[in-house]
Amino acid sequence: MAELPGAGLATAQAAAPGTDGQVVVDPRKPYLDVDHLQIGLQRDGLPLHIVDTVTVSLLPGASLGIVGESGSGKTMLCRSFTGTLGRYGVGITGGRLSIAGHDLTNAREKDWRPIRGRAVGYVPQSSLAGLNPVLTVETQLLEALGLGSRTLTKSQARIEARQLLDMVKIPRADAVLNERSHQLSGGMRQRVMIAAALALRPPLLVLDEPTTALDVTVQYEILVLIRQLREELGMGLILVSHDLAVVEFLCSQVMTMYAGATVEIGASENIRSRPRHPYTNALLHSRLGMAERGKDLVAIPGESPAVGAWPEGCRFWPRCSSAADACRSGAQPAPRLVDGHLTACIRAEDVT
Amino acid sequence: MAGNLIDVTDLHVTYRTAGSDVLAVRGLNLTVGAGQSTGIVGESGSGKSTVAKALVGLVPPTSGSIRIDGDLVAGERAKGYHRSSRWKVQMIFQDPYGSLDPRQQPLDAVLEAIQHWRKLPRAQARTEALDLLKSVGITERQATSGLRALSGGQRQRISIARALAPSPQVLVADEPTSSLDQSAQAAILNLLRRIQAERGLSVIFISHDLGLVRYLTEDVIVMKDGFVVEQGPTDQVLHHPTQEYTQRLIASALA
Repeated sequence: MAELPGAGLATAQAAAPGTDGQVVVDPRKPYLDVDHLQIGLQRDGLPLHIVDTVTVSLLPGASLGIVGESGSGKTMLCRSFTGTLGRYGVGITGGRLSIAGHDLTNAREKDWRPIRGRAVGYVPQSSLAGLNPVLTVETQLLEALGLGSRTLTKSQARIEARQLLDMVKIPRADAVLNERSHQLSGGMRQRVMIAAALALRPPLLVLDEPTTALDVTVQYEILVLIRQLREELGMGLILVSHDLAVVEFLCSQVMTMYAGATVEIGASENIRSRPRHPYTNALLHSRLGMAERGKDLVAIPGESPAVGAWPEGCRFWPRCSSAADACRSGAQPAPRLVDGHLTACIRAEDVT
Repeated sequence: MAGNLIDVTDLHVTYRTAGSDVLAVRGLNLTVGAGQSTGIVGESGSGKSTVAKALVGLVPPTSGSIRIDGDLVAGERAKGYHRSSRWKVQMIFQDPYGSLDPRQQPLDAVLEAIQHWRKLPRAQARTEALDLLKSVGITERQATSGLRALSGGQRQRISIARALAPSPQVLVADEPTSSLDQSAQAAILNLLRRIQAERGLSVIFISHDLGLVRYLTEDVIVMKDGFVVEQGPTDQVLHHPTQEYTQRLIASALA
């Protein structure tokens, strides 16, 4: 498997998604199913894990926010949902990934083609730089619409491109179709990127830090747009952000990641009011919105560990104020149910 | 005005470009007393970063004046920023990756600043640089190894140590945490508050984040398109905004 250089375990039968390009949505089954997923590569003959492990499933139309510090593996996880890990020299090294009923754990590039864009739309990080500067908006939307590979005439495709811009509420859409990225504001570029991701009407949209570089008022407009689009299209959403407030605005479920692992997952409201992992708890309390003037903010001491340098035991213990001896040895704790959601803390009952 | 560390009167800054002039700042008045915290909020293109640059002498005002601790440093008949006043105002930049030389050890970045401002024997300057770095949470080992291994938060600590090298009276912090994670942001803001209290510094926080301004500042200036939209005590401006734009900014901020 050329696109998975580190994937030593990737030997099983590859998935066989429908060749007709149809995405089947079964409302009773998880649309996205991630089970003990590991992502990594081989370094000096040894496996190096970047994600280890993530377990999460998402019903059709549901929303999940993923939070965590830089380097926690959020972005790599998103890339695994679009089959683009190979471009970064990594691959799935363990566990299972399925989308819309297709097992994609060992999928090759040709297996991803009918999934990418159709089953999952993706707006990557730094997408303000994601548009090709020399091509017009229309050319790029036509590409996203798959002109050439679908039975679509150019005039039809043009109408659809125009409709896409209407869908993401771009004013003066006819003019914008003929413009290039430098002529558009940050907010407009992000709208075009979202339009391109939605071109094939995927039932699930993955957004990686969609508003990080935007002004506050523009961020708010984009978040409201995403909410409206979900209501109109009934699509599921995965939103990566380091900003819990953004996640809470859009997602009914939230997953906290730390050093490549799921450390807490559950209903946003539940986690907000009763976090059961010290890391999520610290994240919630480090927010400026919670702070009283003149008093110190809650800061997590130290730095998150680099990939390949994760500590023994719970990976968070060196920075954890309630770490006990039992936290410092063994494997990263598996998430367990406490107070209605899953937490990977063995002392979860004592988190305050 | 006596007693004010910073006194800015009717500041205008225009960038002259080939095509047209950009009126970046169109009339700003600002006074900051010793130990005070002032926020300047606004979105891209509001002119807030230009105000910061003008305060440290990186861009010349087109008109208006800037007095630092009584010395006229910019404006008509100003003698300009000289060593005698320039050290009093130091700046921390937004991008902790772009504002440090990647080939330079953290220790050298601070050492260079100390030696620029104060003619100290090298050994003594080195000790002071290490002490300064230690006071912002950077160990000697981190200070003498490459920058590459350090996180954004650690880099921003180095920038803070470098800014403190001449023992300034005013710190201008231009979006000091906007490229950091939330928990790293909390640590840096705690550090800035501690330093401010210990040294009696005045701090000007330039930010797009109303939460940060609410938490850190006593007075605030809201800017848009170069104009001052609203100005006053932070609590008053954020709780009883009189301008439509300020209201919109507040409504857009997520809880």
